[in-house]
Amino acid sequence: MSRVVVLGAGIAGHTAAAFARSWLGRGDTVTVVSPRPDYNWVPSNIWVGVGLMKPAQVTFPLAPVYERAGIEFVQAAAKEIHPEGDREHPTPYVTAESADGETRKVPYDFLINATGPALRFDKTDGLGPEGGNSLSVCLPTHAAQAAAALAEEVERMRKGERRRFLVGVGHGTCTCEGAAFEYIVNLEFELRNRGVRDRAEITWVTNEYELGDFGMGGMHLKRGGYVTPSSIFNASLFAERGIDWITRAHVQKVEPDRVLYETVDGKEGEKEFDFAMLLPPFSGVGLTAFDSEGAEITERLFLPNEFMRVDADYTPKPHEDWRASDWPRTYQSPDYENIFAAGIAFAPPHAISVPHKSPNGTVIAPAPPRTGMPSAMIGKAVAGSIVDMIGGAKAPTHTASMAEMGAACVASAGANPFTGTAASMTVYPIVPDFERYPDYGRDQDRTFGEIGLAGHWIKILLHHLFLYKARLRPGWRRIPE
Amino acid sequence: MDDEKIQYVTKPTRFTVFLRTFLPWQAWRFAAINLKMIEIIRRSHHGDSPK
Repeated sequence: MSRVVVLGAGIAGHTAAAFARSWLGRGDTVTVVSPRPDYNWVPSNIWVGVGLMKPAQVTFPLAPVYERAGIEFVQAAAKEIHPEGDREHPTPYVTAESADGETRKVPYDFLINATGPALRFDKTDGLGPEGGNSLSVCLPTHAAQAAAALAEEVERMRKGERRRFLVGVGHGTCTCEGAAFEYIVNLEFELRNRGVRDRAEITWVTNEYELGDFGMGGMHLKRGGYVTPSSIFNASLFAERGIDWITRAHVQKVEPDRVLYETVDGKEGEKEFDFAMLLPPFSGVGLTAFDSEGAEITERLFLPNEFMRVDADYTPKPHEDWRASDWPRTYQSPDYENIFAAGIAFAPPHAISVPHKSPNGTVIAPAPPRTGMPSAMIGKAVAGSIVDMIGGAKAPTHTASMAEMGAACVASAGANPFTGTAASMTVYPIVPDFERYPDYGRDQDRTFGEIGLAGHWIKILLHHLFLYKARLRPGWRRIPE
Repeated sequence: MDDEKIQYVTKPTRFTVFLRTFLPWQAWRFAAINLKMIEIIRRSHHGDSPK
């Protein structure tokens, strides 16, 4: 009998747990440890944030789903990993703390760390909805708060006031620019729908060097006889919709009515707002690790950014020397062969976008995205390797390198079945490989994007399909990640 | 937005904007985009199940 423990029930952890359970025999156990009681289909949070959906439409309780599937659910936050057990027992275990403060040991034979990100609003003074001056759509509760604030703004504009909206990222090292992009274009679309667009000034603030970078170095699209960078399409969409933009910016401080920021060229600026939705930077969740003697070994398992070391090449090197082969393939810990990481919890070897620093030394460069499809793909590959290792394989048997896989992404640009639009995009591979594709790092026949109503239909379809799959309804395995 | 900034930005023609929500064209694009995405998904899912 083997015990597989999954820390986290987001896209990566939930996928890994579901496949591990479905592939393992009944004599083996799968346990999910997660502090939240619900699954959240995060990509649809932006629709909660503009008031088109309620939090209940993007979440569901995990306990009944896991009970039906035969997965043990421990609602608690993982705190410590003891990969060698302790002096009394050599069995590896994690400690998990529940909301009432009770700590319990959860033993494992194989561990998947899929704890996702810690939302580091604290990295920027005044950032965030909890004691700060800006809103967020990272959690359903945050998104509902943003929707309520937006409704208030709309009421004020209906009474004739002009209001200023600022959307983007709240720190120079943020990732998930794509989610913030979806929010700003949905916000603009909703203000038009509610008849108050002419009273709104909307501005995008981002750490991207160019628009359309999205933390993956942008992409190049064949269109009209040219190979055109995504910055052109992004700027076009913003100009068409009257959205202004500030690029190459690190937000230093969020005051009640303005942000103060620094740009890559060292200039400082400020932008006033009445409503700000700014995403936070991420770190790992702060797990610690201890050896059998109780000595802390956290730095052996994690990088300083608290993400987990896996089979990547973490040797510091200049951007010109970055290679696709730096990226992890199996997500196995180099120190403990029974520990894996999946989704945002693994430490990337470096960024994908070209890094930049201001003259003051401030890093202003998007961190690499690893959400959605790649997260689920990694979770599934890790589960496959573990099942094979339980069956006798000596090493991981499945790979899911972001430099070898593509991604399909649909970014909503307005939700309406007849007048809505979304940008449908595919990239292959996600991490550019300039050895295989010297011109642009990607296969130009498989990297494409277009905006239209069809994309919105696909986005709606995916919302329902992926929630169906996550509920582990009949046939869920046939729905791809 | 300041006029100088917008002057140097590519903007779509009215026909391009029209096509974005023109139902017959979008029904075709729905099928075409799905096929492109299925190709990417197929290429990325290799050897999924345990041995």
